[in-house]
Amino acid sequence: MATARQRLLKEYKEATKQKQDTGIALIPDETNLFAWRARLQAPKDTPYEGGSFELAITVPEQYPLVPPSVRFRTKVFHPNMHFKTGEVCLDILKTAWSPAWTLHSVCQAIMALLSDPAADSPLNCDAGNLLRAGDMRGYNCMARMYTIEYAMQ
Amino acid sequence: MSDSEEYASGSLMEDEEEEEQESASDQEKDFGLDNSVTVSKKPAYRILKGETLEERRKQALEEVTGVLGITEEDAARLLRRFKWDVTRVHEEWFSNYDAVRASVGLQDEAPVPSTSQATCMICFESYPTDQMYSASCRHLFCHDCWQGYTSTAIADGPACLDLRCPDPKCTACVPTSIIKRTAPPEALAKYQSFCVRSFVEDNRSLVWCVGRGCECAVECCVDRTADEALDVICSSCGATFCFNCKEEAHRPVSCEWVRKWAIKNSAESENVHWIIANTKPCPRCSRPIEKNQGCMHMTCSQCRFEFCWLCQGDWKEHGDRTGGFFNCNRYDAAKRKGDYDEETRKRDNAKQSLERYMHYFERWDAHQKARNKAKADQARISADWLERLSEQTKTPSSQLKFIMDAWSQIIECRRVLSWTYTYGYYALEDMDHKASSTKEGNSSAEENQRFFFEFLQADAERSLERLHEAAEVQLKKVMENNSTAQGNGAPLDLDSFMAFRTHLIGLTDVTRGYFEKLVRQLEKGFEDLERDFGGGSAEEAALIETTL
Repeated sequence: MATARQRLLKEYKEATKQKQDTGIALIPDETNLFAWRARLQAPKDTPYEGGSFELAITVPEQYPLVPPSVRFRTKVFHPNMHFKTGEVCLDILKTAWSPAWTLHSVCQAIMALLSDPAADSPLNCDAGNLLRAGDMRGYNCMARMYTIEYAMQ
Repeated sequence: MSDSEEYASGSLMEDEEEEEQESASDQEKDFGLDNSVTVSKKPAYRILKGETLEERRKQALEEVTGVLGITEEDAARLLRRFKWDVTRVHEEWFSNYDAVRASVGLQDEAPVPSTSQATCMICFESYPTDQMYSASCRHLFCHDCWQGYTSTAIADGPACLDLRCPDPKCTACVPTSIIKRTAPPEALAKYQSFCVRSFVEDNRSLVWCVGRGCECAVECCVDRTADEALDVICSSCGATFCFNCKEEAHRPVSCEWVRKWAIKNSAESENVHWIIANTKPCPRCSRPIEKNQGCMHMTCSQCRFEFCWLCQGDWKEHGDRTGGFFNCNRYDAAKRKGDYDEETRKRDNAKQSLERYMHYFERWDAHQKARNKAKADQARISADWLERLSEQTKTPSSQLKFIMDAWSQIIECRRVLSWTYTYGYYALEDMDHKASSTKEGNSSAEENQRFFFEFLQADAERSLERLHEAAEVQLKKVMENNSTAQGNGAPLDLDSFMAFRTHLIGLTDVTRGYFEKLVRQLEKGFEDLERDFGGGSAEEAALIETTL
């Protein structure tokens, strides 16, 4: 608990230093250091471009020995994100977690996932099947539509 | 195999007895006092005790360290990677040196950093480098972070034996020295026990004995296809179980049927309800796995097998080649296979199914209970009566082994008999459904199969009841007669005792014969039934008469 708090404080300091340029804004809850919000500016040349996606990050007490849990609060159409719950399927948030990852690097990994979806292990089967079928137009349209609908205000 | 005459005679022919020695000798031997399993020509398995295991493990390690000139620690990594197959380690090492080393995380030592201070990449604090440790990759972390890292990994299970550097991009293996230096004592003890247990758990031809507190391992000595049942009796603790599925020994029924049967039997229990609803067994190591989040791409935390949650197939086969992803969840795929229709039909026939199941279950359960009772009786007789009987009849107790043999046979037969009801439940399933759902009924070949199965079963059951009766009631009578005779000062009725002895030994042999035949025939299935018993039911009816 103590180590988790110390480490989160360090991460908080880092987060206040670097800002806009990475497209990732990380802020802890005002009263709780173990609940974070992140706002991602979706990467260019993707159907999500221009969208701003909010993540809810819950940090466990054993952090960084165990991974934080991350959920999209903004609706997103993506093969590795659950359409209803916003759950993210990313190996580093499960088996491949290492304590050397930080909240910031987790966000970076999620940004990378937005531009490079892994259709091999889909949480959203519809999105996965469109990609697997090579229907890029269908996938882009759907993703774009939901981005405009939910992520651009 | 056998012709009808031989069968009708009810006794075993010479050549058949030899065959029996090979196939089932281990079971019988171990039931008695004789613990030397290795005596038989080709034992299907061997029981390895703690010391022997340790010896074998050391031997494997030495072979690898000797030939490859590497440390014992690295040898253990390689052996675990290749399932403790020494020959394979040698082959792979010399043919794919770089790939094999990389696969277990062996790297050349990176240069030692020259700075005196470094930042630990986990807690982001600064430390003098001489207070930090690293694997051969020189990614330095502080003592506390290493401690958290190693103890978390050890708590997560045996996969900690393949622990890698915490740096996400680095694959260097964590040397045991760091684990020894940082893990708390309890965790370290656990780690060391994982090291030792790996020899059995990662080894294809070894399993642990399931007996409570038993530390023996069983080595399979015959070629065995995956999923093939092999009944094992531990010579150390007497536990009987199946090498493949670790459930109670269950010849002639397949492991799959036993698993289905067990789930079906306890379907009432809430726990099992939950397990069925929320978990699936890992397709490789069959440990139950709960899916609590994430996608369909599952990785077993125990054996690291990757599979698809929906169809439980190997994840490697989920690609373009097999017609794209998530075909396995489609309704039409299930329907094409007939699974869906099967389900609907079953629901329609729910009532009939239940009655049918109750029929087989009650009989299965009755024999299981009788078996447990027989076990208790055997223990009681061995403890209370044998010595008394030995004094009264003036025979050494070794001569009374026949009584224990009879009881061991009874226990074994009860077990087989109970499983034949599971067998009947699944093997005759289609037939029973057809019979109840269509007016036409079954073909004569199918009727013959059923007839033959029930005939063999009834025969074995009858023979067993005779044996059980003799071992229970008649033995009691002999005991009572003898004690009253002694009480009156009258001479012992040794003649009647000897007659009882011959009778019981005879019954034991005959019963064993019946059960051998039953098990063999059921395992073989009914395919060659028509050939062996080509005739109609008239001939079989004649068989019944001769045996009655």
